[in-house]
Amino acid sequence: MSFFATIRWQDIVDILLNSYILFRLYVLFRETYVFRVLTGLALLWIFQRIAVFFGLILTSWVLQGITALAALIIIIVFRNELRSVLQAKNLKAILWGFPQKSVPTTIQIITDSVNALCKRHIGALIVLPAKEDLKDMVQGGIPLRGLVSKEMITSIFWGDNPVHDGAAIIEGNRIAEVGVILPLSYRSDLPSQYGTRHRAALGLAETTDALIVVVSQETGKVSVAKDSKIKKIQSNAALINILQEHMGVYEEENGYEKKERFKISIAAIVSVFFITGMWLSFSKGLDTLITLEIPAEYTKRDPRFEIVKASVHTVRLDLAGSATLIKSIQPETVQVKLDLGNAVVGRNVFSITQENITLPPGIFLRKVVPSVIEVTLDETIQRKIPVQIDWVGELPKGLILSKINFDPEKIEVIGGKRILENLSTIYTEKVHLDSMKTSGTLFANLALTPAALKIAPGSKDKIRIAYVIKPRIE
Amino acid sequence: MDDTVQNKLTFHHAVMCEEVKDLAPINPAVVFSIKIGKVSCFSVFDTVPEKTFIYHKWFHKDIPSTNKRLTVQPPRWATYSSIQLRETDKGPWRVEISDRKGNLLHILRFSITD
Repeated sequence: MSFFATIRWQDIVDILLNSYILFRLYVLFRETYVFRVLTGLALLWIFQRIAVFFGLILTSWVLQGITALAALIIIIVFRNELRSVLQAKNLKAILWGFPQKSVPTTIQIITDSVNALCKRHIGALIVLPAKEDLKDMVQGGIPLRGLVSKEMITSIFWGDNPVHDGAAIIEGNRIAEVGVILPLSYRSDLPSQYGTRHRAALGLAETTDALIVVVSQETGKVSVAKDSKIKKIQSNAALINILQEHMGVYEEENGYEKKERFKISIAAIVSVFFITGMWLSFSKGLDTLITLEIPAEYTKRDPRFEIVKASVHTVRLDLAGSATLIKSIQPETVQVKLDLGNAVVGRNVFSITQENITLPPGIFLRKVVPSVIEVTLDETIQRKIPVQIDWVGELPKGLILSKINFDPEKIEVIGGKRILENLSTIYTEKVHLDSMKTSGTLFANLALTPAALKIAPGSKDKIRIAYVIKPRIE
Repeated sequence: MDDTVQNKLTFHHAVMCEEVKDLAPINPAVVFSIKIGKVSCFSVFDTVPEKTFIYHKWFHKDIPSTNKRLTVQPPRWATYSSIQLRETDKGPWRVEISDRKGNLLHILRFSITD
């Protein structure tokens, strides 16, 4: 129960989004070499996690190396395949389309071929045997054993082809024989428009259980002969139905679609399980604690105010999460922000709550120390403060620094009102006397204390000192 | 001479020096070695309308160290104050010279070094 209580809506979105990405990768790359290699990579990753779990240092190290290298190799070696998959598809196809397998079936090819022959008024006889052997019923015939294709069928019945007058026997997905002579029917009740081809088709249909498709050279119409009957076919759908019924492939086609749908469903389920497993391994592993010292950041400060004092500058956060996530924490992803929008001049007390702390996903706050920060604000003012040179060291013996002139003598400083009102001098950084033997000029930087003070824009930040060195009167 | 000027205490000049001899500053300077043991603030007033007193307020690193009250007498007067130097006195110093009412007349800045 406590486990489910820790799952946020972002985690659900995280898992579903990545599952969908994985599922889309499967849909786009299935049955390509890339997919097989990706599957191999996923297995490597799983083995690596198992090796880490069991503390197999060398194995996990080697698997990690191979996985990293393999990912690089995939991009280089399969760049053409990746490009072709991604370029060939539009955004819709990449994001949610399901590419249909466009492998035409034998029935589809026969139907298309018959259509093409009809349009050109090319006569044709196509025999589709059923269970009975045709050898004793037909004569001649040249073995072909070629794969069925629209181009092959139309070329067989092309007028200049020596075998165009005979029939083509199609067995399965291959054209078994061409130029086959069929027995003629001697029926006298055939319509007058039926020619020799129709009579030959009916002849075979009377003696065998084969189905014969006839294309009339004169009318360009299609007829089908089976079981001693011949009938005209009016549409492609009708022809497809008859062919499917004869070849008994209707159920098989449906089965293929079902199989595809099943495969896709399994892939979707596996994607969700795989990503959930990955998510669990990343975010719900062994609970690990870490303590970070994070600097407090102040936001929405009124530009007229200055922070002159804070009770602490860093906040100690005790964080918990899975070992993987804890290890991957970058300090800059953890922030403690205090809103100074309603702060006033003087002392302000802020309680540090969860709202003030930004954490990476999957990391949880256990404790904050301190839980309260005191911030003292002051109004920012600008004031001219006298400068004094901070001499150190010792002049060479017998010499005195009798006089100095420096520029500027006063410096314009910006800072908190309470600080500046009590500040009477701005000192320079230490200026060493030891090497000063004769009069001269030097430059010194200012040492602004406290550090919150700033030199006003346009004011000099270096002091030019002209000094006079004289012999000391003993 | 203008009466107002005549009736007002007028600061003339002041220097920091190692010592004062015969009402004259010796080795006036802006840096003094701790080894000399003593440092003095010598101030001169060229118009003193009446007997009064002035202050030499000594600050070490902006923290008040001592405040010396010195008498000045008509018509002109020179006066000085001194401090004994200890090892902890190294660093920047200033002496604020002010009249009896606390009006600031002049500031001298100097350092005590090695």
